[in-house]
Parts: sequence; structure tokens; C-alpha cells
Amino acid sequence: MASPKEDCSSITLAFMDLAIQQAKLALDSLEVPVGCVIVEDGEVIASGRNRTNETRNATRHAEMEAIDTVLEKWQKKGLSKSETAENFSKCSLFVTCEPCIMCASALSILGIKEVFYGCANDKFGGCGSILSFHSSNSNPVTSGGLPQGKDFKCSGGIMASEAISLFRSFYEQGNPNAPKPHRPLILPETQ
Amino acid sequence: MDAWQIVYVPDKPPIPPDQQSTVDVIATVIEPRLANTLVRRLNQIVPLENLRHVKRVRKKSVEGKTLLCLILCLASEHGDQFDSIPHEVQELISPHKLSTFVTKVCKYAATSKEEWEEQCKLWPTSFHPPTYSIDGITGFSEEDSRSVFSFMNSAIQLAKSGGGSVVNAAVIVDPSAKIVIATARDQIYSWHAPKDEAILETSCSERPFASHIDSNGVMSCETPGGFPDDSKQLYDDVSCLYPWRWAEQKTDMSSCCWHPLRHAAIVAIESSASRDRRLYPSSGDIQDKLVDMNSAHSSSTGSPAKRQKTNLTDVKSDWKLETCCEGSHSLAARPYLCTGYDIFLVWEPCAMCAMALVHQRIRRIFFAFPNPNAGAVGSVYRLQGEKSLNHHYAVFRVLVPAQVLDGAETCHGQPTSTVVDNYGI
Repeated sequence: MASPKEDCSSITLAFMDLAIQQAKLALDSLEVPVGCVIVEDGEVIASGRNRTNETRNATRHAEMEAIDTVLEKWQKKGLSKSETAENFSKCSLFVTCEPCIMCASALSILGIKEVFYGCANDKFGGCGSILSFHSSNSNPVTSGGLPQGKDFKCSGGIMASEAISLFRSFYEQGNPNAPKPHRPLILPETQ
Repeated sequence: MDAWQIVYVPDKPPIPPDQQSTVDVIATVIEPRLANTLVRRLNQIVPLENLRHVKRVRKKSVEGKTLLCLILCLASEHGDQFDSIPHEVQELISPHKLSTFVTKVCKYAATSKEEWEEQCKLWPTSFHPPTYSIDGITGFSEEDSRSVFSFMNSAIQLAKSGGGSVVNAAVIVDPSAKIVIATARDQIYSWHAPKDEAILETSCSERPFASHIDSNGVMSCETPGGFPDDSKQLYDDVSCLYPWRWAEQKTDMSSCCWHPLRHAAIVAIESSASRDRRLYPSSGDIQDKLVDMNSAHSSSTGSPAKRQKTNLTDVKSDWKLETCCEGSHSLAARPYLCTGYDIFLVWEPCAMCAMALVHQRIRRIFFAFPNPNAGAVGSVYRLQGEKSLNHHYAVFRVLVPAQVLDGAETCHGQPTSTVVDNYGI
């Protein structure tokens, strides 16, 4: 699924670069450096970055932050639930790391159109690495013949090396909020 | 169902007893007095390498006399079973005039106590619970069971407390101190946006019933009421059961906000995180340690290699420290996320919620009803068995007596005996 860099249009790279900027903000705040933007009709409508340490809520991933921003924005505009669902189906997410199982599942619940990600997430990935909530799912999520999950298109490997080098900086500086390891830390293998 | 019961939901789907993979072995019946010598010798010459879970000897009672059945060696897959017996084993057989027979043993070690009990009907095996040790996997004491039932009852009452529709509900508990850390109901249709976060926190986590559950395990709620039993759409509002249906639902005009992802578990995690921030403001235990560590390192120009080394030497003492902290319930110790905490959910969590509970380091999940549509701890997915994840909780299903459910047992999604079978119990 990882599409080579040269296949990416400059606009894809530009959005991913904005996601990388968000990840850098996370790094500056001693957070695991993951960032994202949500794009609707070629326009960024929300951005987000990891806030798990600050909130002490390990579910506050970049994607969840951006989703909350979008929902709040649309609710202020008075959009109904069906209008909201329709809007999500036109939105793309650009995120520096493959969404985890929780976020991928959330994106499926919302019915997002497409996800572009940087590096794969070998431990938690929900877009193929561990479980699959995107459209290449070999076992479609169905129950009694009725499609249950909404799947989304997914392409990875976009500016992956930039995303990975941010992780590397983070693990070198140490995750301030993680408990002391029982075993010595192993730096993630990269490239 | 008329009694409370706790059922472990193992990491791997249990295999029905009649579908267990087996292998053929050659066995014999021996006098008990020969057992020691023969077993010792057999373990030397033909150890059961890939069948370490299989016991070599089985007790057998014939006409009031105790005899032992002994596995000699694996049976050959092809050709004559008895010609394939290794020479050294033959040498043991002849002097004792042993008559051999072929029997079946289970090929793989049991993953749960229940599976193990089934295996032993075929031929005794040993059962080693998962390497990580979480209380309850090998059974609950009476006191622990009582507290599990009472917290589950709290969650069920909370699920019913909305007046109209039943939703999923979550209760996060610190089991060592038996205190409620956070409670939440699904908030996907009516979420009163927190203008003042403090007020929300108070209403969520500091309810009067929250600190202690009485001996009957009864938690008082504003509108206790039963599960309504007349409607087929009874559980349409349970967000983990139908996570994709949020857009089709009726709009509740009275609610000021709605949010498709505010499932009970997610809201409870948020509430426990805000309790953490309130009780242990920024200069908590963990932060202090960090500052110490950083300042120590900055003086030594802190190259990554050096840090690694320092961490290594610290590991042992830190581990000891952590172990004693876990035992005490001192308020001064700031928790790391929900480490050591349990969550009680009325319905099995969907993948989003189940993964959120991995992230937040929940120790044990208890749920009452399975979620055949989207359940991620046994029904559709089984996150507790995903080895790559950095944290693993133990999962238990709690079977709830009908009278507690208050007439809800005729509806779908209920714990009937057929659903129980999904877990191989």
C-alpha cells in the first residue's frame, strides 16, 4: 500500500508538510510527534497534534484532536447529523503516522473519504499493519449480510522519512511521561 | 441465568473440545511401582519435545485397583504404529511384558482453564495461565467476585438511568482501594459541552455513590427504572453496538451537542484523565522524577548512548520502587494513566473503545453482554491477543442474573446460553 514518493502530487506533499509542522509542534511540547490536517475541497479545515501527555489522556491522538475541531466547527454552523456525515465523506486526512486501531476505527465510524499517512505503525496500525479498517480489507466488516463499517481509501509512505526522523528525535530526548521501563529502551529501527 | 458468574475471555478463540487438534501416541498400562523408573528413563530417551503440556502418566482405576497409563512415545504417522517404536523403548517394553495401545492427546497447550478442563477428559495436560499475571485469570476469591458483581451492577444501573433509552455505561475502578475513579454513559446524542470543565468533572466522577458501593452492591441512581422490555429497537442507542449508525439517529433537540465518538468508555477515560489532572496538578510524582533525570543528564551533556546506559542501571531499583508503590494506596502516588484500574462496561467495547483502553493501560475489562456487530475483545476482533500491542489487559465476561436485568432477557444482544457458547464455556 505504500506508494512511492514520486507518485505523490505536489498538493499531497504540501498537505503532508502541514501535518509534519503539527508533529513538530507536538515534539516541542514533549509529546509523541504525530500531527495531521483534515482537508475538505482542497482546503485545510482542521489540524491536530498529539496531546496525550498534556491531557494525561492517552486517547488524545492528533486525529482525535482534529476530528473534535471539525465537529465543533460544523455544529456551530448548525449542520445536522446527516449533513455532517455527508461532509466527512468528502474529507481527507493527512497524518504523519499510520492511524492506530482506535483512530482508524473512529475514521471508519465517521465515514471519512481518504487517508494519507507517512510512516507505517508496526505496533498499533489500523490501516493494514495490525488490523484493517480501510478499503483493502480482505474480510469486509459485515453482519448478517449488511455492510457495517464504512471503509476509506488509504495510501502510506508519504514523506515517511521526515515522520520517522521526528520520532527518532523524540525517543532520543525520552518520553517524559512514560513510566520507567522495566527493560532498557530499544530505539526504533529506522531505515 | 439466575446467578452471577465471571467468565474469562482468553487471548485466542477457544477451540471446541471436539475440534482440538490431537496427535497419536503409543501408551501402555503399568503397575504404579514401575512409574518412577520408566518415566525417568523415557524422559531421557524419548522426551515429548513438542508436547510439553501433555502429562506422561494418567491414573486409571480398574476394579478398585489403581493402575497408571504411561505414554511411551509418539506414534508414527504412517505405516505400522508398533514397528516405529524406537529400539530403546522396545527394550523397556519387553522385560516388563507391557502391552501397548495407541491413544490421542491434545496437540496444543490450553489457552484457558475451561479449555484445559476439556483437554483433560482426553488425556491430562498441564495448564499455564498467560505469562503476564493478572488477578482473576485463574479464578476470583469470593471477596473479589462480590466486588466485581457490585461494580457490574453499578454499570448496569447507570446504563438504565437515562429515563428513556438504554445506552452503554462505563465504570472505571481502582480495585485495590475499591473506589470508583470515573463513570460515564454514552454521550453521542446528548453531550452537554463542558463550558466549565470543573463542573463536568464533578458531575462525572464525584457522585456520592462513587466512593463506596454498599455491601449489596446497589448503587442509587436518579431514575433507576428497568430495561424497557417492549421495543425491538431497545438497544439502538448503544453506541458500541451500532457505531456507524450515528448519522441516522433522531436528533434530540434538547441536547446542545452531539458527538459520534463519545462512547461511554471514551468519556470515562476522559473523566479519569481530568480527575488525574485535578488531584495531581502538574508537579506530580512523574514530572518531578523527570526533572531530576533531565537535570542529571544535562550536566553530562546527555548523549543518547549515555542515557541508555544510565537507564539500564536504574532499571532494577525502579522496578522495586514501582512494585511497592502498587501495593500502597497512598494518594501521593500519581497514577500513570489507568495502570492497575479495571473498567466495567455493560456491552463489549467496539474496536475504537477497546484500543482506547489499551492506550490508557486499563488492567482488566469486565463486560456483561457480547457485541456481535463490532465487539473487539472476543466477538469480531480480539485485541487482548494482538501480540504487537504495547499493553495487554485481561478480559472477563460477567453473566448477570435475570432479576438484575429486570425483564430484559427476551431481547437480542442478551446473554443467552448460545451466546455464552461463543466463548467456549
